[in-house]
Amino acid sequence: MNFLNQTLLLLKKDLILEVRRRENLLTMFFFGTLLLFVFHFSFDLVPERVVEMAPGLLWLAFLFTGTLGLAQLFEAERGNHCLEALLLSPMDRGALFLAKTAFNFILMVLVEIVVIPLFWILFNLGSWDIIPHLFLVVLLGTIGFCVLGTLLSAVTLKARARELLLPLVLFPLMIPVILGTIRCMEAILRAGELGDALPWLRLLIGFDVIFLTVGILIFDWVIEV
Amino acid sequence: MRLTVRHLAKAYGLLWALKNVGLDLSAGEIVALLGPNGAGKTTFLKLLAGLISPTTGEILLDGSNFSRSAAVQRSTVGFLTPGEHLYEDLTVRENLIFFTSLYGKSRTIPQIDGVLQEVGLHHRSGEYVAALSSGMKCRLSIAKWKLLEPGLLLLDEPYGVLDGSGIDLLETFLKTQSQKGKVVIIASHHVARVLTLCTRAVILHQGGLTFNEARQQPWDSFTRAFGEFLPHGES
Repeated sequence: MNFLNQTLLLLKKDLILEVRRRENLLTMFFFGTLLLFVFHFSFDLVPERVVEMAPGLLWLAFLFTGTLGLAQLFEAERGNHCLEALLLSPMDRGALFLAKTAFNFILMVLVEIVVIPLFWILFNLGSWDIIPHLFLVVLLGTIGFCVLGTLLSAVTLKARARELLLPLVLFPLMIPVILGTIRCMEAILRAGELGDALPWLRLLIGFDVIFLTVGILIFDWVIEV
Repeated sequence: MRLTVRHLAKAYGLLWALKNVGLDLSAGEIVALLGPNGAGKTTFLKLLAGLISPTTGEILLDGSNFSRSAAVQRSTVGFLTPGEHLYEDLTVRENLIFFTSLYGKSRTIPQIDGVLQEVGLHHRSGEYVAALSSGMKCRLSIAKWKLLEPGLLLLDEPYGVLDGSGIDLLETFLKTQSQKGKVVIIASHHVARVLTLCTRAVILHQGGLTFNEARQQPWDSFTRAFGEFLPHGES
C-alpha cells in the first residue's frame, strides 16, 4: 500500500470516527461561535478601527478553537492503545502525520465556513466580494496551524497535563503564521487586495511547505509509544 | 522466521528495564516468556515489536537488523494484547478491514467473515467493538492476527480474559502458526498452561535473562530456576 493510500485510509478512519462520535466538530463549532459573540459584545468597534481589530479577533477565535481540536487529535488512538497498533503496522509514519493534519484541517475549515460569514455580519465588515480572498489567506494560515499543531500534539502526547502544555509550546511557534495571516487579512480588508502584504503571503506559503515536509520526515522520531 | 537477539538492553532514565539479553530462536518455536512482575517481559515484547527503541543491542529477523523504522520488517511482527489495539467505535468487521488494508493484505468480505466464523464472532460482525466483552475482544484480536499472518507473533498475557473454548481457539491458532514455521513468544503468568504449549522457556528476572532452555521431560532445571517465582498452587 503506497503512502497516499495509507494517508487516505487513516483519514477515512478518522472521519468515520468523527461522524460517529460528533465530539470534536460540534465542540469546535460552538466554541468558535461563542468566542465571536464574546468579542462582539466586548469590543464596541467603530468602523474606522474595525479593519485594524477584525483580523486579530478572527484569528484569535481560530487559534483557540483549533487548539481545542488539537487536544483531541490523538484521542481515538489513546483509547485501547490504538496508537501502538498503528505504529506496529508497516505504514509510513509520515502518512499518519499527513492524515492527522488533513483531518484537523478539514475540521477547522468546516468551522471557518460558518464562523467567517458570521463574523462578517457581527462586525459589519462591508462588501462580501473580498471574502474569497480572505478565505484563501485563512486557509494558508490554517494549514500552517494544523501542520505545526499536529507535530506538537504528537510531541506532547505522553506529557502530563498536555492540554495545558500544548498551547504553551504551540503559540510562540505560531507567531509567524499569526502575523502573516493578520497582515494579509488587514491588507485585503483595507484595499481588497494584498498589495504590501505580499511578502507575508510568501512567508505563510514557505512556513506551510517547510513544516509539512519536516513533519512528514521527522514524525517517525517524534512519535513513540 | 528466525529471531536473534544480541546484548539487548533498555533503560528508562536511570532504570534499566532490560539488561544484556541474548536469545536465538529458530522457526516453529513457541516460547514461554516468564518472570515476576516488573521483570521486563513487556519491555522485551515491545522492543521485539519495534514499539520502542533499544538503548543498546540488536534484534535480527531472518538475519537482517530489525529497526523500528523498517516498514517491511514491521509487517512480519504481530503483537496480540487481549482487547487492545482495536478501535472501539468501529465495528468488528470494519476493524479487520482497516487493519488488513493497513498491512497491505486486503481480504475479501467472505474471507473476513470466514475468520470471524472460526473465532465465533460472525454474528457480531456488524457491532461496535465497544459493545463486545473482554473475551470477545480477545477473540477479535486472534481473528486480526489470523488474517495478518505475522512471522513473529508476540502475546502479552493472552489467557486472562478467555473462556475455555477461547483458550482452545488461541492454542490451536498458536500451534498452527508454529507448524507454519513462525515464531511465537507468550508472556504469561499462567505458567502451567503456557508450559504445556511451549517448546522453550525463557525466564527474565530484574531485567536479566536467568533461564533459556528447550523443553525437556522431566524438566528439573526449569523447576529449580522458576521455583522462587511459583505462585501457590502452581506446579
